[in-house]
Amino acid sequence: MEVTTESANTSNAPARARQESPLQNDASSRQSGTPRISITVDDTRKVRTLNVKAAVDNLNFYYGQHRALKNLTIPIADKQVTALIGPSGCGKSTFLRCFNRMHDLQPDTRYEGSITLHPDNLNLVGSGVDPIEVRMRIGMVFQKPNPFPKSIFENVAYGLRLRGVRNRATLGEEVEKALRGAALWDEVKDRLQDSALALSGGQMQRLCIARALATTPEILLFDEPTSALDPIATAKIEELISTLRDQVTVLIVTHNMQQAARVSDYTAFMYLGELIEFDEAAKIFTNPSKKATEDYITGRYG
Amino acid sequence: MPSIAPPTDPTEGHTAKVFDVALAELRLHVVTMGGLAIDQVSTAVRALLDGDASLAQVVLSRESRINEFERSVDREAFRLIALHQPMASDLRMAKAVSRITVELERVGDEAKKIARFAGRLASGEPTGPVRAVARYLRHMADLTTGMLREAVRALDESDPDLARGVAGRDSELDAEFAAALRQLLTLAMQDQRFFSATIDTVFALKGLERVGDHAKNIAEQVLFVASGEDVRHQKQGDPAIK
Repeated sequence: MEVTTESANTSNAPARARQESPLQNDASSRQSGTPRISITVDDTRKVRTLNVKAAVDNLNFYYGQHRALKNLTIPIADKQVTALIGPSGCGKSTFLRCFNRMHDLQPDTRYEGSITLHPDNLNLVGSGVDPIEVRMRIGMVFQKPNPFPKSIFENVAYGLRLRGVRNRATLGEEVEKALRGAALWDEVKDRLQDSALALSGGQMQRLCIARALATTPEILLFDEPTSALDPIATAKIEELISTLRDQVTVLIVTHNMQQAARVSDYTAFMYLGELIEFDEAAKIFTNPSKKATEDYITGRYG
Repeated sequence: MPSIAPPTDPTEGHTAKVFDVALAELRLHVVTMGGLAIDQVSTAVRALLDGDASLAQVVLSRESRINEFERSVDREAFRLIALHQPMASDLRMAKAVSRITVELERVGDEAKKIARFAGRLASGEPTGPVRAVARYLRHMADLTTGMLREAVRALDESDPDLARGVAGRDSELDAEFAAALRQLLTLAMQDQRFFSATIDTVFALKGLERVGDHAKNIAEQVLFVASGEDVRHQKQGDPAIK
Protein backbone atom coordinates (compact mmCIF):
# COMPACT_ATOMS: atom_id res chain seq x y z
CA MET A 1 0.00 0.00 0.00
CA GLU A 2 1.26 3.41 -0.88
CA VAL A 3 0.60 6.15 1.56
CA THR A 4 0.57 9.72 0.35
CA THR A 5 -0.72 12.84 1.94
CA GLU A 6 -2.79 14.53 -0.65
CA SER A 7 -6.14 16.02 0.14
CA ALA A 8 -7.84 19.35 0.42
CA ASN A 9 -6.13 19.78 3.75
CA THR A 10 -2.60 19.28 2.57
CA SER A 11 -2.58 20.02 -1.13
CA ASN A 12 -0.91 23.36 -0.62
CA ALA A 13 1.88 21.90 1.47
CA PRO A 14 5.30 22.36 -0.13
CA ALA A 15 6.21 19.37 -2.29
CA ARG A 16 9.60 19.08 -0.59
CA ALA A 17 8.05 18.64 2.82
CA ARG A 18 5.76 15.97 1.49
CA GLN A 19 8.70 14.03 0.13
CA GLU A 20 10.54 14.12 3.41
CA SER A 21 7.62 12.83 5.39
CA PRO A 22 4.51 11.29 3.92
CA LEU A 23 2.51 12.12 7.00
CA GLN A 24 3.42 15.73 7.37
CA ASN A 25 0.56 18.17 7.61
CA ASP A 26 0.55 21.79 6.74
CA ALA A 27 -0.76 24.61 8.86
CA SER A 28 -4.28 24.46 7.44
CA SER A 29 -4.79 20.84 8.45
CA ARG A 30 -3.45 21.63 11.89
CA GLN A 31 -6.26 24.08 12.27
CA SER A 32 -8.96 21.92 10.70
CA GLY A 33 -8.23 18.84 12.82
CA THR A 34 -8.03 15.25 11.65
CA PRO A 35 -5.91 15.00 8.52
CA ARG A 36 -6.91 12.75 5.66
CA ILE A 37 -4.45 10.79 3.64
CA SER A 38 -4.92 8.76 0.48
CA ILE A 39 -3.89 5.15 0.28
CA THR A 40 -3.54 3.06 -2.85
CA VAL A 41 -4.68 -0.51 -2.48
CA ASP A 42 -2.45 -2.74 -4.62
CA ASP A 43 -4.75 -5.38 -5.97
CA THR A 44 -7.61 -3.17 -7.04
CA ARG A 45 -5.70 0.08 -7.73
CA LYS A 46 -8.36 1.80 -5.68
CA VAL A 47 -7.48 4.95 -3.87
CA ARG A 48 -9.09 5.23 -0.49
CA THR A 49 -9.02 8.14 1.87
CA LEU A 50 -8.14 7.44 5.44
CA ASN A 51 -8.81 9.69 8.41
CA VAL A 52 -5.74 9.64 10.58
CA LYS A 53 -6.17 9.63 14.36
CA ALA A 54 -2.48 9.28 15.10
CA ALA A 55 0.43 9.66 12.73
CA VAL A 56 3.54 7.73 13.71
CA ASP A 57 6.47 9.39 12.01
CA ASN A 58 10.04 8.08 12.03
CA LEU A 59 9.62 6.68 15.51
CA ASN A 60 12.71 5.19 17.16
CA PHE A 61 12.78 3.78 20.64
CA TYR A 62 15.81 2.84 22.73
CA TYR A 63 16.20 0.64 25.79
CA GLY A 64 19.57 2.02 26.86
CA GLN A 65 21.82 1.48 23.84
CA HIS A 66 19.50 -1.03 22.25
CA ARG A 67 17.38 0.38 19.45
CA ALA A 68 14.12 -1.54 19.76
CA LEU A 69 12.07 0.37 17.18
CA LYS A 70 13.54 1.54 13.91
CA ASN A 71 12.09 4.43 11.93
CA LEU A 72 8.46 3.40 12.16
CA THR A 73 6.07 5.42 10.02
CA ILE A 74 2.49 4.21 10.22
CA PRO A 75 -0.85 6.01 9.95
CA ILE A 76 -3.34 4.91 12.60
CA ALA A 77 -6.80 5.23 11.08
CA ASP A 78 -9.50 7.01 13.06
CA LYS A 79 -12.24 4.74 14.47
CA GLN A 80 -10.78 1.67 12.82
CA VAL A 81 -8.99 -1.36 14.22
CA THR A 82 -5.29 -1.60 13.44
CA ALA A 83 -3.55 -4.85 14.34
CA LEU A 84 0.17 -5.26 14.96
CA ILE A 85 1.54 -8.70 14.16
CA GLY A 86 5.02 -10.18 14.11
CA PRO A 87 7.16 -12.78 15.88
CA SER A 88 8.07 -12.47 19.56
CA GLY A 89 10.59 -9.73 20.16
CA CYS A 90 9.77 -7.83 16.97
CA GLY A 91 8.82 -4.74 18.95
CA LYS A 92 5.05 -4.72 18.57
CA SER A 93 4.36 -4.47 22.32
CA THR A 94 7.17 -1.91 22.66
CA PHE A 95 5.49 0.08 19.90
CA LEU A 96 2.06 -0.20 21.54
CA ARG A 97 3.47 0.98 24.87
CA CYS A 98 4.87 4.13 23.27
CA PHE A 99 1.30 5.35 22.74
CA ASN A 100 0.57 5.72 26.44
CA ARG A 101 4.13 6.30 27.55
CA MET A 102 4.38 3.07 29.53
CA HIS A 103 8.13 3.08 28.94
CA ASP A 104 8.48 6.18 31.11
CA LEU A 105 8.12 3.86 34.10
CA GLN A 106 11.49 2.30 33.21
CA PRO A 107 14.81 4.12 33.54
CA ASP A 108 17.16 4.69 30.63
CA THR A 109 14.65 4.63 27.80
CA ARG A 110 14.41 7.15 25.00
CA TYR A 111 11.98 8.10 22.21
CA GLU A 112 12.92 9.71 18.90
CA GLY A 113 10.54 10.86 16.21
CA SER A 114 6.88 11.54 16.85
CA ILE A 115 3.41 10.12 17.34
CA THR A 116 1.09 12.98 16.49
CA LEU A 117 -2.36 12.68 18.01
CA HIS A 118 -5.05 14.49 16.07
CA PRO A 119 -7.03 16.72 16.05
CA ASP A 120 -4.83 18.84 18.33
CA ASN A 121 -1.44 17.63 17.05
CA LEU A 122 -0.17 16.52 20.41
CA ASN A 123 3.14 14.64 20.10
CA LEU A 124 2.53 11.72 22.46
CA VAL A 125 6.23 11.00 22.86
CA GLY A 126 7.32 14.62 23.01
CA SER A 127 9.65 15.35 25.93
CA GLY A 128 7.52 18.21 27.20
CA VAL A 129 4.32 16.19 27.21
CA ASP A 130 3.03 14.89 30.53
CA PRO A 131 2.59 11.09 30.44
CA ILE A 132 -0.36 11.38 32.81
CA GLU A 133 -2.16 13.61 30.33
CA VAL A 134 -1.38 11.08 27.59
CA ARG A 135 -2.76 8.21 29.65
CA MET A 136 -5.97 10.14 30.30
CA ARG A 137 -6.59 10.15 26.56
CA ILE A 138 -5.28 6.72 25.66
CA GLY A 139 -6.56 3.63 27.45
CA MET A 140 -4.96 0.24 27.67
CA VAL A 141 -6.11 -3.34 28.19
CA PHE A 142 -3.50 -5.93 29.10
CA GLN A 143 -2.91 -9.59 28.41
CA LYS A 144 -3.99 -10.69 31.88
CA PRO A 145 -7.15 -9.13 33.26
CA ASN A 146 -6.03 -6.90 36.15
CA PRO A 147 -9.09 -5.59 37.99
CA PHE A 148 -8.51 -3.73 41.26
CA PRO A 149 -9.44 -5.69 44.40
CA LYS A 150 -12.57 -3.59 44.74
CA SER A 151 -16.21 -3.89 43.71
CA ILE A 152 -17.26 -4.08 40.09
CA PHE A 153 -18.74 -0.59 40.36
CA GLU A 154 -15.61 0.92 41.94
CA ASN A 155 -13.38 -0.60 39.25
CA VAL A 156 -15.25 1.26 36.53
CA ALA A 157 -15.79 4.42 38.59
CA TYR A 158 -12.10 4.65 39.48
CA GLY A 159 -10.96 6.69 36.50
CA LEU A 160 -13.98 8.97 36.79
CA ARG A 161 -13.26 9.66 40.46
CA LEU A 162 -9.63 10.44 39.54
CA ARG A 163 -11.01 13.04 37.18
CA GLY A 164 -12.98 14.56 39.99
CA VAL A 165 -16.47 13.26 39.25
CA ARG A 166 -18.25 13.25 42.63
CA ASN A 167 -21.93 13.29 41.71
CA ARG A 168 -23.40 9.84 42.53
CA ALA A 169 -25.99 9.98 39.78
CA THR A 170 -23.41 10.93 37.14
CA LEU A 171 -21.07 8.19 38.36
CA GLY A 172 -23.89 5.64 38.18
CA GLU A 173 -24.82 6.70 34.66
CA GLU A 174 -21.27 6.66 33.37
CA VAL A 175 -20.53 3.28 34.97
CA GLU A 176 -23.62 1.78 33.34
CA LYS A 177 -22.69 3.29 29.99
CA ALA A 178 -19.17 1.88 30.19
CA LEU A 179 -20.39 -1.56 31.28
CA ARG A 180 -22.93 -1.61 28.45
CA GLY A 181 -20.18 -0.51 26.05
CA ALA A 182 -18.09 -3.45 27.20
CA ALA A 183 -21.05 -5.86 26.79
CA LEU A 184 -20.95 -6.71 30.49
CA TRP A 185 -23.91 -4.79 31.93
CA ASP A 186 -26.51 -7.55 31.65
CA GLU A 187 -24.25 -10.01 33.44
CA VAL A 188 -23.33 -7.79 36.39
CA LYS A 189 -26.14 -5.24 36.82
CA ASP A 190 -27.54 -7.07 39.86
CA ARG A 191 -24.22 -7.42 41.63
CA LEU A 192 -22.32 -4.19 41.08
CA GLN A 193 -21.13 -4.18 44.69
CA ASP A 194 -19.62 -7.71 44.48
CA SER A 195 -15.87 -8.03 44.28
CA ALA A 196 -14.49 -7.81 40.74
CA LEU A 197 -12.22 -10.73 41.60
CA ALA A 198 -15.26 -13.04 41.72
CA LEU A 199 -15.85 -12.62 37.96
CA SER A 200 -14.72 -15.15 35.35
CA GLY A 201 -11.58 -14.42 33.31
CA GLY A 202 -13.56 -13.27 30.29
CA GLN A 203 -15.81 -11.08 32.44
CA MET A 204 -12.76 -9.58 34.20
CA GLN A 205 -11.26 -8.70 30.83
CA ARG A 206 -14.50 -7.02 29.75
CA LEU A 207 -14.53 -5.20 33.10
CA CYS A 208 -11.04 -3.91 32.31
CA ILE A 209 -12.33 -2.75 28.93
CA ALA A 210 -15.26 -1.01 30.69
CA ARG A 211 -12.79 0.61 33.09
CA ALA A 212 -10.80 1.90 30.14
CA LEU A 213 -13.95 3.06 28.30
CA ALA A 214 -15.32 4.98 31.32
CA THR A 215 -12.85 7.80 30.80
CA THR A 216 -13.82 8.03 27.09
CA PRO A 217 -10.34 7.47 25.65
CA GLU A 218 -9.55 8.47 22.08
CA ILE A 219 -7.39 5.42 21.44
CA LEU A 220 -7.72 2.06 23.14
CA LEU A 221 -4.63 -0.16 23.20
CA PHE A 222 -4.99 -3.91 23.49
CA ASP A 223 -1.94 -6.00 24.32
CA GLU A 224 -2.88 -9.61 23.49
CA PRO A 225 -6.24 -9.19 25.24
CA THR A 226 -7.46 -12.75 24.72
CA SER A 227 -4.37 -14.91 25.13
CA ALA A 228 -5.52 -15.99 28.60
CA LEU A 229 -9.16 -16.63 27.60
CA ASP A 230 -11.14 -19.60 26.29
CA PRO A 231 -12.62 -19.52 22.76
CA ILE A 232 -16.08 -18.30 23.83
CA ALA A 233 -14.71 -15.47 25.98
CA THR A 234 -12.30 -14.69 23.13
CA ALA A 235 -15.19 -14.47 20.66
CA LYS A 236 -17.02 -12.08 23.00
CA ILE A 237 -13.98 -9.82 23.27
CA GLU A 238 -13.48 -9.90 19.50
CA GLU A 239 -17.12 -9.05 18.94
CA LEU A 240 -16.73 -6.22 21.42
CA ILE A 241 -13.65 -4.88 19.62
CA SER A 242 -15.60 -4.79 16.34
CA THR A 243 -18.38 -2.75 17.97
CA LEU A 244 -15.92 -0.45 19.77
CA ARG A 245 -14.67 0.90 16.48
CA ASP A 246 -17.78 3.06 16.30
CA GLN A 247 -16.58 5.12 19.24
CA VAL A 248 -12.82 4.70 19.59
CA THR A 249 -9.67 4.05 17.59
CA VAL A 250 -8.32 0.60 18.43
CA LEU A 251 -4.74 -0.62 18.27
CA ILE A 252 -4.26 -4.30 19.04
CA VAL A 253 -1.22 -6.54 19.44
CA THR A 254 -2.00 -10.19 18.89
CA HIS A 255 -0.09 -13.40 18.35
CA ASN A 256 -3.18 -15.02 16.95
CA MET A 257 -3.08 -14.44 13.21
CA GLN A 258 -6.69 -15.48 12.69
CA GLN A 259 -7.67 -12.98 15.35
CA ALA A 260 -5.84 -10.17 13.57
CA ALA A 261 -7.56 -11.23 10.33
CA ARG A 262 -10.98 -11.30 12.02
CA VAL A 263 -10.91 -8.06 13.96
CA SER A 264 -8.65 -5.63 12.15
CA ASP A 265 -9.26 -3.21 9.31
CA TYR A 266 -5.56 -2.50 8.86
CA THR A 267 -2.63 -4.71 9.75
CA ALA A 268 1.02 -3.88 10.28
CA PHE A 269 3.63 -6.62 10.14
CA MET A 270 6.78 -5.91 12.15
CA TYR A 271 10.08 -7.73 12.27
CA LEU A 272 13.20 -6.91 14.31
CA GLY A 273 11.86 -3.49 15.23
CA GLU A 274 11.04 -2.50 11.68
CA LEU A 275 7.78 -2.14 9.86
CA ILE A 276 7.83 -4.63 7.01
CA GLU A 277 4.36 -4.15 5.59
CA PHE A 278 1.26 -2.13 6.35
CA ASP A 279 -1.96 -2.61 4.41
CA GLU A 280 -5.62 -3.42 4.63
CA ALA A 281 -6.09 -6.63 6.61
CA ALA A 282 -7.84 -8.36 3.71
CA LYS A 283 -4.81 -7.73 1.51
CA ILE A 284 -2.25 -8.80 4.12
CA PHE A 285 -3.99 -12.11 4.78
CA THR A 286 -4.84 -13.11 1.23
CA ASN A 287 -2.00 -11.71 -0.81
CA PRO A 288 0.71 -9.81 1.06
CA SER A 289 3.17 -7.80 -1.01
CA LYS A 290 6.30 -8.77 0.90
CA LYS A 291 7.84 -12.23 1.01
CA ALA A 292 8.66 -11.89 4.72
CA THR A 293 5.01 -11.17 5.56
CA GLU A 294 3.91 -14.16 3.48
CA ASP A 295 6.42 -16.43 5.25
CA TYR A 296 5.30 -15.27 8.66
CA ILE A 297 1.54 -15.53 8.20
CA THR A 298 1.77 -18.90 6.47
CA GLY A 299 3.93 -20.25 9.29
CA ARG A 300 7.25 -20.60 7.49
CA TYR A 301 9.47 -19.07 10.14
CA GLY A 302 11.65 -21.67 11.81
CA MET B 1 14.47 -10.39 7.43
CA PRO B 2 14.51 -14.15 7.95
CA SER B 3 17.97 -15.59 7.44
CA ILE B 4 16.77 -18.86 5.92
CA ALA B 5 16.49 -18.87 2.13
CA PRO B 6 12.80 -18.90 1.23
CA PRO B 7 11.59 -22.17 -0.25
CA THR B 8 10.46 -21.94 -3.86
CA ASP B 9 7.88 -24.70 -3.49
CA PRO B 10 4.66 -23.38 -1.94
CA THR B 11 3.97 -26.72 -0.26
CA GLU B 12 7.26 -26.76 1.66
CA GLY B 13 9.05 -24.92 4.42
CA HIS B 14 6.31 -24.63 7.04
CA THR B 15 7.31 -24.77 10.66
CA ALA B 16 4.57 -27.37 11.08
CA LYS B 17 5.80 -30.23 8.91
CA VAL B 18 2.42 -31.90 9.15
CA PHE B 19 1.01 -29.00 7.15
CA ASP B 20 3.74 -29.39 4.48
CA VAL B 21 2.73 -33.02 4.14
CA ALA B 22 -1.01 -32.28 3.95
CA LEU B 23 -0.55 -29.58 1.31
CA ALA B 24 1.90 -31.65 -0.75
CA GLU B 25 -0.43 -34.66 -0.66
CA LEU B 26 -3.35 -32.54 -1.77
CA ARG B 27 -1.43 -31.24 -4.74
CA LEU B 28 -0.13 -34.72 -5.58
CA HIS B 29 -3.69 -36.02 -5.67
CA VAL B 30 -4.78 -33.35 -8.13
CA VAL B 31 -1.74 -33.98 -10.33
CA THR B 32 -2.54 -37.72 -10.33
CA MET B 33 -6.14 -36.93 -11.18
CA GLY B 34 -4.89 -34.69 -13.99
CA GLY B 35 -2.83 -37.57 -15.43
CA LEU B 36 -5.91 -39.77 -15.47
CA ALA B 37 -8.06 -37.07 -17.10
CA ILE B 38 -5.48 -36.52 -19.86
CA ASP B 39 -5.38 -40.25 -20.57
CA GLN B 40 -9.19 -40.39 -20.65
CA VAL B 41 -9.26 -37.74 -23.41
CA SER B 42 -6.58 -39.31 -25.58
CA THR B 43 -8.00 -42.82 -25.13
CA ALA B 44 -11.54 -41.66 -25.98
CA VAL B 45 -10.37 -39.94 -29.18
CA ARG B 46 -8.34 -43.01 -30.16
CA ALA B 47 -11.42 -45.19 -29.60
CA LEU B 48 -13.38 -42.82 -31.83
CA LEU B 49 -10.85 -42.74 -34.66
CA ASP B 50 -10.13 -46.49 -34.56
CA GLY B 51 -13.77 -47.48 -33.97
CA ASP B 52 -12.51 -49.51 -31.02
CA ALA B 53 -15.37 -50.44 -28.67
CA SER B 54 -13.14 -52.02 -26.03
CA LEU B 55 -11.03 -48.83 -25.74
CA ALA B 56 -14.27 -46.85 -25.35
CA GLN B 57 -15.27 -49.25 -22.62
CA VAL B 58 -11.97 -48.62 -20.79
CA VAL B 59 -12.74 -44.89 -20.71
CA LEU B 60 -16.28 -45.46 -19.42
CA SER B 61 -15.10 -47.86 -16.71
CA ARG B 62 -12.53 -45.32 -15.42
CA GLU B 63 -15.06 -42.48 -15.20
CA SER B 64 -16.02 -43.42 -11.64
CA ARG B 65 -12.37 -43.07 -10.57
CA ILE B 66 -12.35 -39.46 -11.81
CA ASN B 67 -15.50 -38.76 -9.83
CA GLU B 68 -14.02 -40.34 -6.72
CA PHE B 69 -10.90 -38.16 -7.15
CA GLU B 70 -13.09 -35.08 -7.31
CA ARG B 71 -14.85 -36.01 -4.10
CA SER B 72 -11.70 -36.93 -2.19
CA VAL B 73 -9.64 -33.89 -3.28
CA ASP B 74 -12.49 -31.58 -2.35
CA ARG B 75 -12.85 -33.31 1.01
CA GLU B 76 -9.11 -33.02 1.69
CA ALA B 77 -9.03 -29.34 0.70
CA PHE B 78 -11.99 -28.64 2.97
CA ARG B 79 -10.33 -30.53 5.83
CA LEU B 80 -7.06 -28.66 5.31
CA ILE B 81 -8.86 -25.32 5.51
CA ALA B 82 -10.78 -26.36 8.63
CA LEU B 83 -7.86 -27.88 10.51
CA HIS B 84 -4.92 -25.71 9.48
CA GLN B 85 -6.56 -22.37 8.63
CA PRO B 86 -4.14 -21.63 5.79
CA MET B 87 -3.29 -18.03 4.94
CA ALA B 88 -2.12 -16.17 1.83
CA SER B 89 -0.51 -18.48 -0.79
CA ASP B 90 -1.48 -21.59 1.19
CA LEU B 91 -5.10 -20.48 1.22
CA ARG B 92 -4.91 -19.72 -2.47
CA MET B 93 -3.49 -23.19 -3.10
CA ALA B 94 -6.31 -24.87 -1.15
CA LYS B 95 -8.94 -22.87 -3.03
CA ALA B 96 -7.28 -23.38 -6.43
CA VAL B 97 -6.89 -27.12 -5.94
CA SER B 98 -10.58 -27.38 -5.10
CA ARG B 99 -11.43 -25.50 -8.27
CA ILE B 100 -8.98 -27.43 -10.46
CA THR B 101 -10.50 -30.73 -9.44
CA VAL B 102 -13.89 -29.51 -10.73
CA GLU B 103 -12.29 -28.60 -14.07
CA LEU B 104 -10.66 -32.02 -14.32
CA GLU B 105 -13.93 -33.76 -13.53
CA ARG B 106 -15.54 -31.91 -16.43
CA VAL B 107 -12.66 -32.94 -18.68
CA GLY B 108 -13.52 -36.51 -17.63
CA ASP B 109 -17.16 -35.90 -18.59
CA GLU B 110 -16.17 -34.73 -22.08
CA ALA B 111 -14.01 -37.84 -22.51
CA LYS B 112 -16.92 -39.99 -21.39
CA LYS B 113 -19.25 -38.46 -23.98
CA ILE B 114 -16.71 -39.00 -26.75
CA ALA B 115 -16.23 -42.61 -25.60
CA ARG B 116 -19.99 -43.22 -25.73
CA PHE B 117 -20.08 -41.90 -29.27
CA ALA B 118 -17.18 -44.19 -30.12
CA GLY B 119 -19.21 -47.09 -28.75
CA ARG B 120 -22.17 -46.18 -30.97
CA LEU B 121 -19.91 -45.97 -34.03
CA ALA B 122 -18.57 -49.45 -33.26
CA SER B 123 -22.12 -50.77 -33.14
CA GLY B 124 -23.16 -49.46 -36.54
CA GLU B 125 -23.61 -45.67 -36.58
CA PRO B 126 -22.20 -44.25 -39.89
CA THR B 127 -18.52 -43.34 -39.64
CA GLY B 128 -18.48 -40.90 -42.58
CA PRO B 129 -18.48 -37.63 -40.60
CA VAL B 130 -15.78 -38.80 -38.18
CA ARG B 131 -13.59 -39.93 -41.08
CA ALA B 132 -14.16 -36.57 -42.80
CA VAL B 133 -12.74 -34.64 -39.83
CA ALA B 134 -10.36 -37.31 -38.50
CA ARG B 135 -7.36 -35.10 -39.09
CA TYR B 136 -8.95 -32.29 -37.05
CA LEU B 137 -10.03 -34.62 -34.26
CA ARG B 138 -6.51 -36.01 -33.97
CA HIS B 139 -4.93 -32.56 -34.02
CA MET B 140 -7.41 -31.12 -31.52
CA ALA B 141 -6.87 -34.08 -29.20
CA ASP B 142 -3.10 -33.50 -29.38
CA LEU B 143 -3.56 -29.80 -28.69
CA THR B 144 -5.95 -30.23 -25.76
CA THR B 145 -4.01 -33.00 -24.06
CA GLY B 146 -0.85 -30.94 -24.57
CA MET B 147 -2.49 -27.92 -22.93
CA LEU B 148 -3.81 -30.04 -20.08
CA ARG B 149 -0.41 -31.66 -19.56
CA GLU B 150 1.26 -28.26 -19.32
CA ALA B 151 -1.40 -26.85 -17.01
CA VAL B 152 -1.05 -29.82 -14.66
CA ARG B 153 2.75 -29.65 -14.85
CA ALA B 154 2.57 -25.92 -14.05
CA LEU B 155 0.63 -26.84 -10.92
CA ASP B 156 3.02 -29.66 -10.05
CA GLU B 157 6.12 -27.51 -10.48
CA SER B 158 4.54 -24.21 -9.37
CA ASP B 159 5.62 -22.65 -12.62
CA PRO B 160 3.62 -19.54 -13.59
CA ASP B 161 5.50 -19.16 -16.90
CA LEU B 162 4.36 -22.59 -17.99
CA ALA B 163 0.79 -21.71 -16.99
CA ARG B 164 0.90 -18.49 -19.01
CA GLY B 165 1.81 -20.50 -22.11
CA VAL B 166 -1.35 -22.60 -21.88
CA ALA B 167 -3.76 -19.71 -22.38
CA GLY B 168 -1.89 -18.63 -25.50
CA ARG B 169 -2.61 -21.92 -27.27
CA ASP B 170 -6.37 -21.73 -26.89
CA SER B 171 -6.82 -19.64 -30.04
CA GLU B 172 -5.12 -22.30 -32.16
CA LEU B 173 -7.65 -24.80 -30.83
CA ASP B 174 -10.55 -22.49 -31.62
CA ALA B 175 -9.30 -22.09 -35.21
CA GLU B 176 -9.09 -25.87 -35.64
CA PHE B 177 -12.63 -26.22 -34.30
CA ALA B 178 -13.98 -23.63 -36.77
CA ALA B 179 -12.21 -25.32 -39.69
CA ALA B 180 -13.57 -28.74 -38.70
CA LEU B 181 -17.09 -27.33 -38.48
CA ARG B 182 -16.84 -25.93 -42.03
CA GLN B 183 -15.68 -29.32 -43.27
CA LEU B 184 -18.62 -31.06 -41.58
CA LEU B 185 -21.10 -28.51 -42.89
CA THR B 186 -19.94 -29.15 -46.44
CA LEU B 187 -20.35 -32.89 -45.92
CA ALA B 188 -23.81 -32.50 -44.40
CA MET B 189 -25.03 -30.47 -47.35
CA GLN B 190 -23.73 -33.07 -49.80
CA ASP B 191 -25.08 -36.12 -48.05
CA GLN B 192 -27.97 -35.99 -45.60
CA ARG B 193 -27.87 -39.67 -44.60
CA PHE B 194 -25.23 -38.84 -41.97
CA PHE B 195 -27.32 -36.28 -40.17
CA SER B 196 -27.34 -37.88 -36.70
CA ALA B 197 -23.68 -38.91 -36.87
CA THR B 198 -22.77 -35.39 -37.99
CA ILE B 199 -24.38 -33.89 -34.91
CA ASP B 200 -22.55 -36.40 -32.71
CA THR B 201 -19.28 -35.48 -34.41
CA VAL B 202 -19.92 -31.78 -33.82
CA PHE B 203 -20.45 -32.61 -30.13
CA ALA B 204 -17.16 -34.54 -30.05
CA LEU B 205 -15.31 -31.59 -31.60
CA LYS B 206 -17.04 -29.19 -29.23
CA GLY B 207 -16.08 -31.47 -26.33
CA LEU B 208 -12.42 -31.20 -27.27
CA GLU B 209 -12.73 -27.45 -27.59
CA ARG B 210 -14.21 -27.41 -24.06
CA VAL B 211 -11.31 -29.49 -22.75
CA GLY B 212 -9.03 -26.71 -24.00
CA ASP B 213 -11.09 -24.20 -22.03
CA HIS B 214 -10.77 -26.34 -18.90
CA ALA B 215 -6.99 -26.50 -19.40
CA LYS B 216 -6.95 -22.73 -19.64
CA ASN B 217 -9.01 -22.41 -16.46
CA ILE B 218 -6.59 -24.70 -14.63
CA ALA B 219 -3.67 -22.58 -15.81
CA GLU B 220 -5.44 -19.47 -14.52
CA GLN B 221 -5.78 -21.08 -11.10
CA VAL B 222 -2.04 -21.84 -11.10
CA LEU B 223 -1.39 -18.16 -11.83
CA PHE B 224 -3.74 -17.25 -8.98
CA VAL B 225 -1.72 -19.42 -6.58
CA ALA B 226 1.53 -17.85 -7.76
CA SER B 227 0.56 -14.18 -7.78
CA GLY B 228 -2.80 -13.82 -6.06
CA GLU B 229 -4.11 -12.14 -9.17
CA ASP B 230 -7.37 -13.21 -10.72
CA VAL B 231 -6.67 -13.39 -14.46
CA ARG B 232 -9.99 -14.93 -15.45
CA HIS B 233 -11.86 -13.29 -18.30
CA GLN B 234 -8.93 -11.13 -19.31
CA LYS B 235 -7.89 -10.77 -22.89
CA GLN B 236 -4.56 -11.92 -24.19
CA GLY B 237 -2.09 -9.07 -23.93
CA ASP B 238 -3.40 -7.79 -20.61
CA PRO B 239 -0.52 -7.07 -18.27
CA ALA B 240 -1.39 -9.95 -15.95
CA ILE B 241 -1.33 -12.55 -18.72
CA LYS B 242 1.62 -11.26 -20.70
